Amino acid sequence: MAEIQVESLTRRFGTTTAVERVSFTVEKGEIVGFLGPNGAGKSTTMRILTGALGATEGRVLVGGVDVFERPTDAKRIIGYLPEVPPVYTDMTVRAYLRYAARLRRVPDPKGAAEQVMRRVGLEEVAHRLIGHLSKGFKQRVGIAQALVHQPKVLILDEPTSGLDPGQRREIRELIQDLSAGEVTVILSTHVLSEVEALCDRVIIINRGRIVAQDSIEVLARSGRTVVLEVESPDASLTARLSALDGVEGVEADGPRIRVRTARDLRAEIARAAVPAGLLELRAENALEDVFLQLTASEVA
Amino acid sequence: MIILAIAGRELRSIFHTTVGWLVIAGFLLMTGFFWATMVSFYIVQGADLLSNPNAAMQMSLTDHLLAPFFGNTAVVLLMLSPALSMRLFSEEIKQRTLELLLTAPVSTWEIILGKFLGAMGFVGAMLLGTLTVPLSLWLWASPDPGALFGGYLSLGLLAAAVISLGMLFSSLSQNQIVAVVLTFSASLALWILSWVSEDPQALVVQMSLSSHLQDLATGVVRLSDLAYFAGFVGFFLFATQQRVDSTRWR
Repeated sequence: MAEIQVESLTRRFGTTTAVERVSFTVEKGEIVGFLGPNGAGKSTTMRILTGALGATEGRVLVGGVDVFERPTDAKRIIGYLPEVPPVYTDMTVRAYLRYAARLRRVPDPKGAAEQVMRRVGLEEVAHRLIGHLSKGFKQRVGIAQALVHQPKVLILDEPTSGLDPGQRREIRELIQDLSAGEVTVILSTHVLSEVEALCDRVIIINRGRIVAQDSIEVLARSGRTVVLEVESPDASLTARLSALDGVEGVEADGPRIRVRTARDLRAEIARAAVPAGLLELRAENALEDVFLQLTASEVA
Repeated sequence: MIILAIAGRELRSIFHTTVGWLVIAGFLLMTGFFWATMVSFYIVQGADLLSNPNAAMQMSLTDHLLAPFFGNTAVVLLMLSPALSMRLFSEEIKQRTLELLLTAPVSTWEIILGKFLGAMGFVGAMLLGTLTVPLSLWLWASPDPGALFGGYLSLGLLAAAVISLGMLFSSLSQNQIVAVVLTFSASLALWILSWVSEDPQALVVQMSLSSHLQDLATGVVRLSDLAYFAGFVGFFLFATQQRVDSTRWR
């Protein structure tokens, strides 16, 4: 049975529908990325999964426990990092994490706090007030409180926002470690490279609905853009490229030409472009392409 | 126990704020001032009555010193308690820390009782600071322990009532100023309600906070007064619970 099972989840705020009939499952130990533009319903969905928000319709099972019927049991096995880390600025890191552990009914709150501080790298700031910490450290304290009770399911709303590249990598490695230890992770992010580096599967949400959910390889295959740079661009090159079977569009911008294709046509495009003095040919970030297509088409 | 963990954090965080220290300092300053002026007035009164032994027999510590002292202290508490309840939820909503409590395996009742007890713990510390009053009295006289007990009970019940009311207002807004102004206005209105009618049985008088404190402050503990405060606090805690639960649905 899937670790997280979401069935036809709908959430309305007054007359606006934030999430509409969203269904998906996540297997044990899987890392799933939530992608979508701002306001797409990612945070709302995550807040419903953690019990912070009620649903208008639908059902959510986490570890086989119905989140709406037995919220307290479900919350014990969920760790949650909201968009803004829920930290008390007047507490020290150590006191805060002990408090978070007690709230989660951990038998040994002191030990759990020390353990999670080691894990997330907070020992050096353990005695400092959270209000005096940098954004990166605050974010880490937020991640630590989500982990302090060793949850089976981790829900992270933009876990790497506000972090520098080094810190981002540390958090990525931490999440990979956790996943190897059978922790199931759902995370949302704006950074596509992060999804590619980290996630087994991607769920793209736009305007409250799931517009795509699949592994990154499958999704990336569905959209391809090849970018060329040539020495002497002219109309005949554009015509030759457009004439290729499978080419959906050609945009020329000086020496730089973007070719949208339905399948992998790199070889054919290269042959067509050589007479014009081909300097460079590369496939554009495929996931970004898919993301933009899927989320833009609905708005148009 | 979760409720105590929440109460402990709440209590510590009031001590971390300037407001907390201002409240405790203001409270002790004002009650100390009242005590000093009342004792000197009592002594002057007593000296005047020395020539009239019958009248002197009528003077009692309870009626002429303790009751007015507790009455004045109650008014100070009425003014200051809203400053203790204003942050209970407003601050959490504004700082977005309420999410931590709402996603922890903790019931809304545990959150509310924890916060209520935390604020009451601070009131306890404030009242502890006034214990010099009965102690000093015992050095030179023999006050009625029942009156002292009743007086402190009346202060505790009043603070509980104002804080439960204030917690509801705090859960309605992320703005602490709004919460404190609403709480103070509402509790003052409930206090002066008894001035509306001369008849002690009138409904408005029965609804008033002050009319249920009068007898308690002289050591007369009535079940009806206790029931009034239990009902008052229970009602506002319940309303807060409904309000906080409803944030999940709005």
